Amino acid sequence: MASVTASSVKFSSVSCLIKQNQLSNLKKASLSFTGNGFQSRRLPVLRFRVACAAKPETVMKVVDIVRKQLALPEDRDVCGESKFSVLGADSLDTVEIVMGLEEEFGICVEEESAQSISTVQEAADLIEELLEKK
Amino acid sequence: MALTLNAIAFQSPKRPSFTPPPLPTAHRSPTLCMASSLRSASREVETVNKPFTPPHEVHVQVTHSMPPEKVEIFKSLEGWAEDNLLVHLKPVEKCWQPQDFLPDPSSDGFHDQVKELRERAKEIPDDYFVVLVGDMVTEEALPTYQTMINTLDGVRDETGASPTPWAVWTRAWTAEENRHGDLLNKYLYLSGRVDMKQIEKTIQYLIGSGMDPRTENNPYLGFIYTSFQERATFVSHGNTARLAREHGDMKLAQICGTIAADEKRHETAYTKITEKLFEIDPDSTVLAFADMMRKKIAMPAHLMYDGRDDNLFDNFSAVAQRLGIYTAKDYADILEHLVKRWKVSQLRGLSAVGQEAQDYVCGLPPRIRKLQERAQTRAKQGPRIPFSWVHDREVQL
Repeated sequence: MASVTASSVKFSSVSCLIKQNQLSNLKKASLSFTGNGFQSRRLPVLRFRVACAAKPETVMKVVDIVRKQLALPEDRDVCGESKFSVLGADSLDTVEIVMGLEEEFGICVEEESAQSISTVQEAADLIEELLEKK
Repeated sequence: MALTLNAIAFQSPKRPSFTPPPLPTAHRSPTLCMASSLRSASREVETVNKPFTPPHEVHVQVTHSMPPEKVEIFKSLEGWAEDNLLVHLKPVEKCWQPQDFLPDPSSDGFHDQVKELRERAKEIPDDYFVVLVGDMVTEEALPTYQTMINTLDGVRDETGASPTPWAVWTRAWTAEENRHGDLLNKYLYLSGRVDMKQIEKTIQYLIGSGMDPRTENNPYLGFIYTSFQERATFVSHGNTARLAREHGDMKLAQICGTIAADEKRHETAYTKITEKLFEIDPDSTVLAFADMMRKKIAMPAHLMYDGRDDNLFDNFSAVAQRLGIYTAKDYADILEHLVKRWKVSQLRGLSAVGQEAQDYVCGLPPRIRKLQERAQTRAKQGPRIPFSWVHDREVQL
């Protein structure tokens, strides 16, 4: 992890403080069609907000790491929406999951971002965001 | 009912649900946030608009989690305690007293002795004093700890003068500990290096706040907690002694070292009790051990407050971490020591949940170390912040 930003890991993340104010790590792409070329046809102005979710492969890798960390039985369903806490992860597990993701993807997760991850999807999205920045 | 749940909620109207106090961002310590912020399911609420409100616990208070029939175990151990526990107490006539380490007011040389003490103290930096003060404040909150031990079923002092060996132990232990706070208080007072009024205020707040180590009136949990704590204070005071020596103050080194020696003796006693519990009821004891470790061992002074700094404990812990007085590594070391001391990996005849607990506890030290190593490599320089204990001079976190 040759990280330029040596961020300090606060074990506050290990202290399992349940964050109510969670940063949304979903990348939002805002597209607005102002309908310039269509004014004569009087089409309504449309605004789309598209959340760019992570690739399925990324989600699958996260699922694998989570499964391994929490030693989940095969029949236990794990998907994007799965919350770490519901899967039985304590604060220590969550930090270790983040560490596993860092190793797997060669990224460095900042303390603040790490604390905001509560579902598989959020982890995957954050990973892709960090990979893109590299 | 084995369990009574009291949900006590202190909600600040100004803050949504709860927001934990913001931890100082870039500081070097993975610290004691691990070892000390220990608030797994607990939450701390500060009220922004009410001045001088100390942080307080907001978590579900679990009480009497030990099944009532197990109280008998502790009754039946009274003979054992008489023969094996009380031996770790020192007779008062053989005990040191704070006066042994302080300038003698009855002597003509008193003023010179005080002058020397202050000269030596001048050579010691503020960051050391911040940690020494934090330790002293912790010791001075002794009423909280005696109370905590007396919340434990089966071993509490029912009257304040109960003749049971458990009660005799607790009172004598309290009496021995009482000297620690007294000694450090007098030293700090004479040193001239610290703001005594702010320190005294901190103590008043802390005793008022109490502490909840989440021992649930359960002596299995309670003695594991005290075993861990006594070793932690032994490590901590041992380090303050070493540092005092490095700064050239041999008398202060002696003070800290003497306190550390007491803590070692207490550690031996509490560890012995837990060892006995592992012997006669391994399943309950290993479950208790895992439970306490999952909840994380809360440092006794984690609710400390000086009327000014909402993050006082975290800031103090950060300095203690940086100076190597008490660190996240120490937390892992203590845990590992106890796992070995109590031979947890060799326990046999455990239930399924007992084995799970055994695996958890035995596997925990390396996990904590890995975390701590990672944090260490990433740690960056902490900010300098003022501490009211040293007249708002700034100290590096």
